[in-house]
Amino acid sequence: MTTEASPAVANDLILDARGITKRFGGFVALNNVDLAVRPGERLGLIGPNGSGKSTLTNCLCGALKTDGGSISFAGRAIDSLSSYQRARLGLGRSFQLPRPFHSLSLLDNLRIPLVYAVNARGGTHLTEPQIRARSTELLGEFGLGGKLHRLPGDLTQVEMRKLELARAMATDPTLLVSDEALAGLSHSEVDEILALLLALNKRGVAVIFIEHIMRAVMAFSERLVVLVAGEKIADGAPKDVIADERVIGAYLGQ
Amino acid sequence: MSNGRFILLACLVGVALVGASTFVTNEYYVFAAYFVLQYVVLATAWNILGGYVGYVNFGTTAFLAIGLYSAAALNKWLDLPIPVLIPIAGVLCGAVGLAMGYLTIRLRGVYFTIATLALSVVVQTFITNWDYVGGSRGIYIMRPTDAPVFGSYVAYLFFLMTVLAVASVIVARVIERSTFGFGLAAIRDDETAAAASGVPVLRLKLVAAAISGALMGMAGAPLPFYLTYVEPTSSFSLAYTVNSVAMPLVGGTTSWLGPVIGAVLLGTMQQAMTVLISSSVNLLVVGVLLVIFVIAAPNGILGLIRSLGGKKVDPETNPLAAMLVTEKRSSP
Repeated sequence: MTTEASPAVANDLILDARGITKRFGGFVALNNVDLAVRPGERLGLIGPNGSGKSTLTNCLCGALKTDGGSISFAGRAIDSLSSYQRARLGLGRSFQLPRPFHSLSLLDNLRIPLVYAVNARGGTHLTEPQIRARSTELLGEFGLGGKLHRLPGDLTQVEMRKLELARAMATDPTLLVSDEALAGLSHSEVDEILALLLALNKRGVAVIFIEHIMRAVMAFSERLVVLVAGEKIADGAPKDVIADERVIGAYLGQ
Repeated sequence: MSNGRFILLACLVGVALVGASTFVTNEYYVFAAYFVLQYVVLATAWNILGGYVGYVNFGTTAFLAIGLYSAAALNKWLDLPIPVLIPIAGVLCGAVGLAMGYLTIRLRGVYFTIATLALSVVVQTFITNWDYVGGSRGIYIMRPTDAPVFGSYVAYLFFLMTVLAVASVIVARVIERSTFGFGLAAIRDDETAAAASGVPVLRLKLVAAAISGALMGMAGAPLPFYLTYVEPTSSFSLAYTVNSVAMPLVGGTTSWLGPVIGAVLLGTMQQAMTVLISSSVNLLVVGVLLVIFVIAAPNGILGLIRSLGGKKVDPETNPLAAMLVTEKRSSP
């Protein structure tokens, strides 16, 4: 069931996290978790509340320091890099609760990652008109084209999710960690966001899709990882994983 | 308005101020105007860290006093002229701001504020025990009877403070419209999200703390020559700290204009009250005003104007109104 990345293919991985451990005082939030993602892959990450999904996101993206293990991204060890450096390398994230820049217009919300992540990366340097064009284009793709100059406070819940994803995409990531982008949305809104994520993936962006809505997880994921109480208990093809009795046990109770 | 045009305009306002001061026969008014301009610098400097980044600094007196005492000490030792003392105070206070930032800026909210308050106490204790500048007895500064170019020394001091006020307003405005300023706004709104968007949070905060500290220190450098006698108790007066916080809050913290409005309004009012009522009523009135604003207009006068003016101002046809009403940096 568990497919470990063999050393031979390790170089093909966009993300290779091994033995990630995180403790909060005496509480072990993550215990020796391995997570590997291939370029362009759609990986579903599920687990009951408190299983460590968000902690893992924070560890991968640099918001939390790990207590053990190593993380390499695009063939480079990133353990000692802080959040903003990881974002510049192409490790994007969207937050579970949208965290827009409240005092900035939608255009300027996207301007931040374009200036601070894309332009700071080296290589391409977007000029002021290019930044404006790119943020307008991205907001348009996410259905926010009509609200370029509005403040995030004027947006609806689903629009806020779109802004969150658009801002994450503005960092031009090669891997996007999407933390419960669908929580609290209606049936049709879920489909809308899911379509957006699939479209992003089609352009080659690998996605770690953290979600509770199983319908969405099964529709989206090529591979599924299950986290329970800080440990990885399953990793494989979605239909095999959800048939696994430990997974069923964890969700329904033994 | 482009930066170039703004700088030109700010310089013209400065020239006008200095020009107007030469027509004033009663020197008291020039003294009073100096006091107000000093608060323009302090409030603007405070706002770069307090307003743009959201870190409430209660250590204004520490920076002002370091500027003040470094000028007093260097004047006593080497007899340096004020235009040399100002940049020295700036560099010194910029370094202190950087150091303070490095040690404390990982703290958020009230913890950071308490740390800055502690800095004031530390600096005051140090200066009270520094014999070279008179310790708790204080030190007299001999003011040269004539000044370069300007006839009177007071006019000269007023000129220097006008330059500092114009310069700090220009610095604040340039920061506000720059990539750096957008980074600061992102940090103020959400540090974690800013970092996830590639903003080097710690570095930007440190630069803001250094600039803010440097400007406060520079405001302090001419002060010993203005007062001619300085001692720790009045140099560390609570008034400086309270005012430099209250002025941006009353004016509005998200734009360079807010601290200027606050400083001119509160500074002038305090001068008037000192003369008309009593010097001890000053802070009471500032306190009451602050409470009223925090409750009734938490975004300051600028916020009030924006909410009254609505959002339908075309920047092309009415740039001044757009500057006041612009929704870009208004808080939700």
